[in-house]
Amino acid sequence: MISAFLFRGLAGRIAWVAAFIALLGILVPLSNLMLPSDHALYVPDYIVSLFGKYLTYALLAMALDLVWGYCGILSLGHGAFFALGGYAMGMYLMRQIGSRGVYGDPILPDFMVFLNWKELPWYWYGFDQFWFAAIMVLAIPGLLAFVFGWFAFRSRVTGVYLSIITQAMTYALLLAFFRNDMGFGGNNGLTDFKDILGYTLQNPATRAGLFAAAAFALSLALVISSAIVRSKFGKVLLATRDAESRARFLGYRVEHVKLFVFTLSAMMAGIAGALYVPLVGIINPGEFAPANSIEVVIWAAVGGRGTLIGPIIGAITVNLGKSWFTAQFPEYWLFVLGGLFVAVTVFMPKGMLGTLSSFSDKVKSLKPAPKPSQTEAGEMRKEGEAS
Amino acid sequence: MIDSNTQVTSTLLYLDDVSVSFDGFKAINGLSLAIEPGEMRAIIGPNGAGKTTMMDIITGKTRPDTGDVLFEGQMDLTQHDETEIAQAGIGRKFQKPTVFESQTVRENLELALSGNRGVWASLFYRESEADAARIEEILQTVRLQQRANELASDLSHGQKQWLEIGMLLAQDPKLLLVDEPVAGMTDAETVETAKLLREISKTHSVIVVEHDMGFIRDLDVKVTVLAEGSVLAEGSLDHVSAHPDVIESYLGR
Amino acid sequence: MTVLRALLVCLVTLLASYSTIPAAMADDLKDAINALAEGSLKDREAKVDALLETGDDTVVPVLTYLAEGDLYFRKSDKQVFLADKTGRTFSLTDPISGDVIPDISKRDIKKVRVNNNLRRQIRDGLSLFALNSRDSAKRLAAAETIYKAQDASALPAIEARLAKEQDAQVIAFLQEARAGLTLTSDAPEEAKLSAIEILRDKGGRQALSILNEAAETSEGAVKDAASRAIVAIERMLAIWNGVQNIWYGLSLGSVLLLASIGLAITFGVMGVINMAHGEMVMLGAYTTFAVQQAVQTAAPGLIDYSLLFAIPAAFLVAGAIGFVLERGIIRFLYGRPLETLLATWGVSLILQQAVRTIFGPTNQEVSNPGWMSGAVELAGLSLTWNRIWIFFFALAMFGLLFALLKRTPMGLQMRAVTQNRNMASSLGVKTPWVDAFTFALGSGIAGIAGVALSQIGNVSPNLGQSYIIDSFMVVVFGGVGNLWGTLIGALTLGVANKFLEPFAGAVLGKILVLVFIILFIQKRPRGLFALKGRAVE
Ligand SMILES: Nc1ncnc2c1ncn2[C@@H]1O[C@H](COP(=O)(O)OP(=O)(O)O)[C@@H](O)[C@H]1O
Ligand SMILES: [Mg+2]
Repeated sequence: MISAFLFRGLAGRIAWVAAFIALLGILVPLSNLMLPSDHALYVPDYIVSLFGKYLTYALLAMALDLVWGYCGILSLGHGAFFALGGYAMGMYLMRQIGSRGVYGDPILPDFMVFLNWKELPWYWYGFDQFWFAAIMVLAIPGLLAFVFGWFAFRSRVTGVYLSIITQAMTYALLLAFFRNDMGFGGNNGLTDFKDILGYTLQNPATRAGLFAAAAFALSLALVISSAIVRSKFGKVLLATRDAESRARFLGYRVEHVKLFVFTLSAMMAGIAGALYVPLVGIINPGEFAPANSIEVVIWAAVGGRGTLIGPIIGAITVNLGKSWFTAQFPEYWLFVLGGLFVAVTVFMPKGMLGTLSSFSDKVKSLKPAPKPSQTEAGEMRKEGEAS
Repeated sequence: MIDSNTQVTSTLLYLDDVSVSFDGFKAINGLSLAIEPGEMRAIIGPNGAGKTTMMDIITGKTRPDTGDVLFEGQMDLTQHDETEIAQAGIGRKFQKPTVFESQTVRENLELALSGNRGVWASLFYRESEADAARIEEILQTVRLQQRANELASDLSHGQKQWLEIGMLLAQDPKLLLVDEPVAGMTDAETVETAKLLREISKTHSVIVVEHDMGFIRDLDVKVTVLAEGSVLAEGSLDHVSAHPDVIESYLGR
Repeated sequence: MTVLRALLVCLVTLLASYSTIPAAMADDLKDAINALAEGSLKDREAKVDALLETGDDTVVPVLTYLAEGDLYFRKSDKQVFLADKTGRTFSLTDPISGDVIPDISKRDIKKVRVNNNLRRQIRDGLSLFALNSRDSAKRLAAAETIYKAQDASALPAIEARLAKEQDAQVIAFLQEARAGLTLTSDAPEEAKLSAIEILRDKGGRQALSILNEAAETSEGAVKDAASRAIVAIERMLAIWNGVQNIWYGLSLGSVLLLASIGLAITFGVMGVINMAHGEMVMLGAYTTFAVQQAVQTAAPGLIDYSLLFAIPAAFLVAGAIGFVLERGIIRFLYGRPLETLLATWGVSLILQQAVRTIFGPTNQEVSNPGWMSGAVELAGLSLTWNRIWIFFFALAMFGLLFALLKRTPMGLQMRAVTQNRNMASSLGVKTPWVDAFTFALGSGIAGIAGVALSQIGNVSPNLGQSYIIDSFMVVVFGGVGNLWGTLIGALTLGVANKFLEPFAGAVLGKILVLVFIILFIQKRPRGLFALKGRAVE
């Protein structure tokens, strides 16, 4: 059943894109490790790290679009799930340091020694095991999303209200993680990692491995998401987005639908965060900043919301632009980013992919992008909210 | 409220002394109504009489302040939400046609098709031959075979109404609530719709709300007149249109 | 003791500079001071006593300098001076006239000798000196100082003063000081019991600590009475603490109200999610800064009133930007709230960066005018003027806006358009313009909020960011579309925040409030004061 399900996800252009990403996951590391550095096809180390990071961003953006583009839930808190996944991985990496820290404590991470803590807090137990951390990468964001969504969807908080409380959620977490006594390194977060699964993080081969992991994760998530979107459940998602109360009157339990996709999406975001942390070597509370989460939304919007490939393209394009601008004209990047928000929402609501496919004849092979105008759907939704 | 040893009537839908008010305004006022299995009932009444609100109450969208609403003699509808009521077998067509605009006609019907509504079930759903045949049949019934693969947003107003009726059929409920199905339709479409509803009523119980007298006459069923939230008169169309209160409530405004 | 002395010296010298001394008395005093230069150490004790007797504040620095070994006399005329070493030479200060003679060589002067006996005598004498001051305010302060320092050696002096004292207020203070000392001495039980009563009525932290000590060291009736008094004082303290917290909370609430009141219009009334709202506030604060700079250069005399110019300026600047924002972007997005949210977020980034480019990324200094600085003491509470002004300013803004919406034709049009656009437009209301002006009004008010907020916090490009989430929380909590809800919401959240702080700390308190609101919205998605019915939609 599962394989049949996944097979459905491989339909159409998704199969090609997923295969392409997986192939990158093989070829880029190979080129980086095997080719001499003067070879035309050689991929330098920093590109591997940089694009590895972009791939995790792409995964995050795609996860967000699964709830926003397909289910109409504009989450301004996905950065929180990403960061939680990152912290779970960071805790594992922290414990791998062992007695190689500045203070040489075999158990306690440096910041705890610095704060004069005598023993490891209970919630750090188990993080010395990779398998445990890996489970937590999924479980913690998933659990938060589940609990949060359970309350929110059951009480039918929708639209901007939902957006605003998701933003408040990540803001509250931001404040919390800044506190030293939370036991997550406070302001500085977790850093100075040494190795992962026994491989030194500084080693190019490890980086290449992490790149491959990010590429495979993205590719797999793409196929799973595509399978979901193409199933009948995917149609229910769109139905929920376009006319929530109609879906209810058809007998669908809309809150379960939302809860499922929200939780799943949060878990994907958690994975993205977990892959991101070893690549960049640090995780700190700044990742919870509301501005981060909302930036993810613009990646998805630029690429094309309501599609799966769009957010991937959007995340990579915007971040390439960001890297270039912040190097060349650091003062202008925020103008560009701000302008992007305005331009995309006003002039290009379907994003790059949607706009492109409007010109192409192959509209049918794609999921139709959401209508820029929500008027019909919007009014309908209102009718559903009357009570 | 009804306890287990009270007799269970054969009535399909039973509203008893239902009232609801919005900010002090009584939209439904002591409304009582009984629908028998297999019956088709037309409900008429001036604008603001509370017809749509009545449907809201039956489908769980609005909670009545007082009164009982029983389905099949035992299910207290005031205690259930929209989803549960829909799953129990009450389908509804909105006054304003609402279909899933960004999906095709066929997908709309697929969504409505009766079956397990759970998350897992829909994730792993594969269309069976029976389901496909059923959709074909409905497409024919609502005369949309030609447009099955077009987006619902591209349909004309009348076609959207039909698609919605088609979705009701696919849902296969025991009771259909149809709110102003011919609003905005051409005369020809109206006649077709009346035919369609009569056909449907052979196998389902139906409540139709409509303004259009010609349409009601075409349906040729028992009529309930609603005004200011309660029943004014009940009987054949000729009977109610001769009723002095009805004449007053329609012409006296 | 040294602290006590330092306090006394400060106090006394400060006040001394204001007192003018009659010429004849000054001469006697001068002789008495100069007499210090002569005679043996033994004689000097009597001379110090004589100086203390005068009750004149001039002697305080003289004796202080003497005790420190900084009192010198000039060899040529045996005149006594306060000497301060500046580099290799001394500067001499005439103790009476205060005249300073700089650059005196060590060879021309000689130190007035002092020993430990003298030092002790001076210290004790000075500490009680102010008790006999001619100025009742100084006596009051002295009694208070003794009370705070719990200096047992002052007891006889207090008794002596009490016998002569006429001023009722000073008597009360002296009695309290005596009570504090009695309680820790080995006085008879009766005296201690009445002392406990006095301290209980006085209240405050100091009384509490004295009573605590008494309760620990004594037994029987005294211990019981002390314990009861402690409970009573603690209750009073808790009440005052509560009152103080309420004020802090109301003050925070008024800041929240200011920040969210414009949002109550753009979001609450118009339904536009303006994420750049915080930046309107920020622009208002920067306008205040710019206006202050301009006034500083153009008319420095008016600097205390620059805020009055800043208010209309901020309103116009933020309002104009709001107008452009509505016409340029938001009007294309009506009916698409999520898109509006994103586009206005983009605008907020642009505005922040623009301000950063123009004014630089660092905080700008906006100074408080004289009439907004300082604090008033009110029965154990200390209220700063800027907070008080902002509190009433926020209420005034609220009242003004309320009147504008409910009582003017413009307000009527605004409400008409937001309630039923089609109907209003068919009645001849120019809905696009009403939209634009309503939005400009909300933005302008945010700008005015910026003027006020510049008075209590940093003016930086990020100013708006720190308010945006809070503002939305207030409006949503209070109930969208309901101005009263915004008022109540802001004050409630402010007070709640301040009441949580002592238990949870500032950050955790804020987190708890956020979590509370998140849960609250899920319980009542339409806020505290929800409008009901179809009209809302
Ligand atoms: N949720 C609601 N809030 C406020 N008033 C309502 C609500 N629902 C219905 N009403 C009012 O109840 C009355 C009946 O409305 P409705 O049932 O739509 O009438 P009909 O469908 O018969 O034209 C109308 O006056 C309407 O304004
Ligand atoms: Mg109706």
